[in-house]
Amino acid sequence: MADADQINQPTANRSFNDAMVVDANASRLDGVAKVTGRARYARDVTVPGMLYVQGIRSPWGVGKLAAIDVPAAKAIPGVVDVVVERDTGEYDGDWIGHVVAESRLALRRAMRALAPRWERGEPKVGIDPGQVVLDAPDEGASAAYRRAAHIFEAEYSTPVQTHSALETHGLVVEHRGESAIVHASTQGTFAVAEEIARFIGLPRSRYEVRCEYVGGGFGAKFQIGREGSTAATVAAATKRSVHSFCTRREEHLDTGNRPSSHIKVKLGVARDGAILGGQIAVFGGTGVARGGGGASIPSRRYALGEVSAKTTNVRFNAGAPRAMRAPGHPQGAFAEELMLDEVAALAGVDPLELRLRLDTDESGARRAMYRAGAEMIGWSRRHANGAVPEEGGPIRTGLGVGSTSWGALRGPAQAEIVVHRDGAVELRSGAQDIGTGFRTVIGIAAADALGVPLESIDVRIGRSTLPEGPASGGSVTTPSVTPAVIAAAQDAKRQLLEVAAQRLGVAAARLTIVGGNLRDGERVALAWADLCRLLPTESVVGSGRFDGRGGTLFGEGHSHGVQFAEVEVDIETGVIGVRRVIAFQACGRILCRKTAESQVIGGVIQGLSYALFENRLLDRKTGAMVNPNLEAYKILGSVDMPVIEPILWSDATQTGARGLGEPPVIPTAGAVACAVLNAVGAPVRHLPMTPDKVLAAVDAAAAQPAGQPADGRPRREGGAA
Amino acid sequence: MNRFSVIQARSIDEAAAALAPARQGARRVALPQLKAGGMDLIDLMKEGIAEPPTLINLLTVEEAALRRIDEGRFGALVTLAELAADAALLRTAPVIARSVALAATPQVRNVATAAGSLLQRPRCWYYRNHQFDCLKKGGSTCFAVEGENRHHAIFGGGPCHIVHPSNLAPALVVCDGSVDLVGGDRTTLPIARLFHGPDRGSVLGEHTLEPGEIIVGIRYRPAPTSGFCAIKEKQSFDWPLVFACVALALEGTTIAGARVCAGAVAPTPWPLPAVEEALRGVDLGDGAALSRACAVAAEGATPMRDNAFKVRLLPVAVRRAIEDAVRPARAEEATP
Repeated sequence: MADADQINQPTANRSFNDAMVVDANASRLDGVAKVTGRARYARDVTVPGMLYVQGIRSPWGVGKLAAIDVPAAKAIPGVVDVVVERDTGEYDGDWIGHVVAESRLALRRAMRALAPRWERGEPKVGIDPGQVVLDAPDEGASAAYRRAAHIFEAEYSTPVQTHSALETHGLVVEHRGESAIVHASTQGTFAVAEEIARFIGLPRSRYEVRCEYVGGGFGAKFQIGREGSTAATVAAATKRSVHSFCTRREEHLDTGNRPSSHIKVKLGVARDGAILGGQIAVFGGTGVARGGGGASIPSRRYALGEVSAKTTNVRFNAGAPRAMRAPGHPQGAFAEELMLDEVAALAGVDPLELRLRLDTDESGARRAMYRAGAEMIGWSRRHANGAVPEEGGPIRTGLGVGSTSWGALRGPAQAEIVVHRDGAVELRSGAQDIGTGFRTVIGIAAADALGVPLESIDVRIGRSTLPEGPASGGSVTTPSVTPAVIAAAQDAKRQLLEVAAQRLGVAAARLTIVGGNLRDGERVALAWADLCRLLPTESVVGSGRFDGRGGTLFGEGHSHGVQFAEVEVDIETGVIGVRRVIAFQACGRILCRKTAESQVIGGVIQGLSYALFENRLLDRKTGAMVNPNLEAYKILGSVDMPVIEPILWSDATQTGARGLGEPPVIPTAGAVACAVLNAVGAPVRHLPMTPDKVLAAVDAAAAQPAGQPADGRPRREGGAA
Repeated sequence: MNRFSVIQARSIDEAAAALAPARQGARRVALPQLKAGGMDLIDLMKEGIAEPPTLINLLTVEEAALRRIDEGRFGALVTLAELAADAALLRTAPVIARSVALAATPQVRNVATAAGSLLQRPRCWYYRNHQFDCLKKGGSTCFAVEGENRHHAIFGGGPCHIVHPSNLAPALVVCDGSVDLVGGDRTTLPIARLFHGPDRGSVLGEHTLEPGEIIVGIRYRPAPTSGFCAIKEKQSFDWPLVFACVALALEGTTIAGARVCAGAVAPTPWPLPAVEEALRGVDLGDGAALSRACAVAAEGATPMRDNAFKVRLLPVAVRRAIEDAVRPARAEEATP
């Protein structure tokens, strides 16, 4: 859609303070290895003689196993074990047992030989819209309705989005008799080490978890799952290596998801568009889990008056949710942003103006982003909702906007920097790079603090035997580990300078390290190799630790963001083309601008895919997922990509690195939904915004009462509910 | 995937000989199967839907005619990318080149063959999912009837409600296409008779080839004023919701004759004779008359619970395919 050479070019950033950037354009240290296929992911690990494990799973929403031929499966050459634990399944993909075999072929043949015969029950496959009702209003809501000039009511829904990590969930246990290495695709190297202890049959001192690369981790890869615990149990029992990874189908069915939601809102709105208060009822799908559903609405980014919110979890026959990139937030933001645009239309005010009035960010950062973005995207040319362009034709354009915020979360972390006598520098952190660029980013922090080039640092991460770092959730990895890395670098540097001061007979305070050279004042005293040669021991180890609390490296408050979207909607086909997304995102100190911008772009892409395409679809009769693949489960592709302009935002109050993984995914679907409303003149309240729903909105706009302007000028409904 | 053997056929005769057990009516499940690009077949094998014991590889066949694009004919092994990029084809029958130009992905188009496109199996998610024992796999239920049917048929459905998946077949229908055959008693078969609906012939299959017959070439009549329009939910790697192919005979700006065939709406390529009739005599400059004629495309549709939107999209696709056919400076365009 966009010109290829236009896509995702770094933009000139007018609001940007370059002093906040440590390194603008460093490429990922592992970039070449990844794109050339040299990077060895956990799934790629093979060990001679290893066993393969796969789950036996229920194929239906409600299943009763009537027959299964375990002896036939065990008779297949190469089959080591077949275990059936249960004869009922509560959802498609429910684990009821497993097969262990010496080859993938034997595994597959055993699965066939099992020839399970299932009796199918009546499943419940989702939230029943009939149950989505508001309670009686409380005092605050009642008062808001009484004072209102308009009563606004609407219902929104969001589908289940699966994580769809390219590298599916799983691990390899490389068993060495008295010890083991666990190669895991995980967001928590240390979490795996702890969880697997119950199964692996070895003391913690005898195994190491390694996580060199992760092929996608969006919140579902903290736990080892049945695929992991079974592999460890089998390895413990057989003292053999075991490979256990989910298939693509299993990945969709049983490794977590962003849960579905139905959201009902009723608001009292003043004549000028001010929201006086009301009720929000969230019905959150949980699959077979007892909790974990919901949507973050109200977000508290907008003053919504006396609004009461209630969440109800709804269980049904489907795989359970797990955390997914800003859990709860994209669901809530979709409903909240579209709700605001609908309220603005009802009251006849500009939706951006309404947001500027309702915004709760006291720092003013978001208001500044709104204004800068309005200028960039040309908000002044935004037409009335559903207005027909001059040239006619089926294409309608629209603009929309949404907001985000994220707490400056962090946890405890340790790091080490080892400087060897031969000049080699090792940075050691056990935390994992789930694709964020963490490996590169901490290398940059260490290089900057030690005074050496990035290329000279050997970054070693993703091992449970290295200094402990946090699991990658809540966008904490970079903000937690970086302070420890900087402290470690400072510690190593201090030790180097002390050695040098002693050997050169000068005061350590006069010495610095710049560009890899030892300087005495402005003069280069020693090259790096000569400096390191002075070490009396093979190496010096600099240690750093961050307690996870406060600290001068961090400002307080939230990281804010605002996204603007421009869409073209073909009102004859209902197809939405997103043309441009401008994404403002505050993230404190920027260690690597290129990587940070990639994070924002990635968040927008996942948000767009959620807005337009993704939907775990369960067959209503059987409860089986009809699209457990990457063909019918649709994910945004290259041709659907708009121009995305990430704009990193820094201000004086934000002096430390902040997490950036989650906040950019939050506002995208809402901003696009608002732009679609603007384009066609009626809202699409249910994700994904597929052509059939867009066409229904086109019809709804056309059916608006005569005399009702398409931009939704005040629709008087009397003064009270 | 199960164990299977591969025969690297060096000639069409060798492939036909290897396929002979099929002609002799050997047990159905044990039949060898032809593999060209393998884009569809290998997927089906991975999903456990197809389990041929033997694959006969056609890519090793040496006959040049299978890979050549000539005037009015192209070989069965010509890839979709080659069709899309062929300048002569874009002049003589643009609908054919255009139909495949944006199908699937560049990677798929570089491998997928013309005959493979015609004979690929339907994309129905119940058929493709091994746990559903559907009509097409010898079961007794079409799960789409009461299940999730947004991508299923709005014409000609029942008892099975698949839609025909090939972009190429409807394009060939409007060009009076035919296939050249070897390995059986027939040497040619009109494209319109290559496919059968689920109500006429075995619901287990979609084409009318006899066991042992191999498509070696595809013929078409020139249709210089022809066009294509696919309406897709997602523009990268997605199957059309509906698509339309048209070939026009013009007298000045008046439509003297039209051939119109729709895809993704019925179990077979779906010719629209009533639209052809309605288009006759319509002036291209008369937008209202053109729209009225295209609207006829929706007549007689029997949508299922979730796919009524396709009925609305089809006239739009027909209209845009006509616009595609008469776009100025059409022949000079290269495809992506």
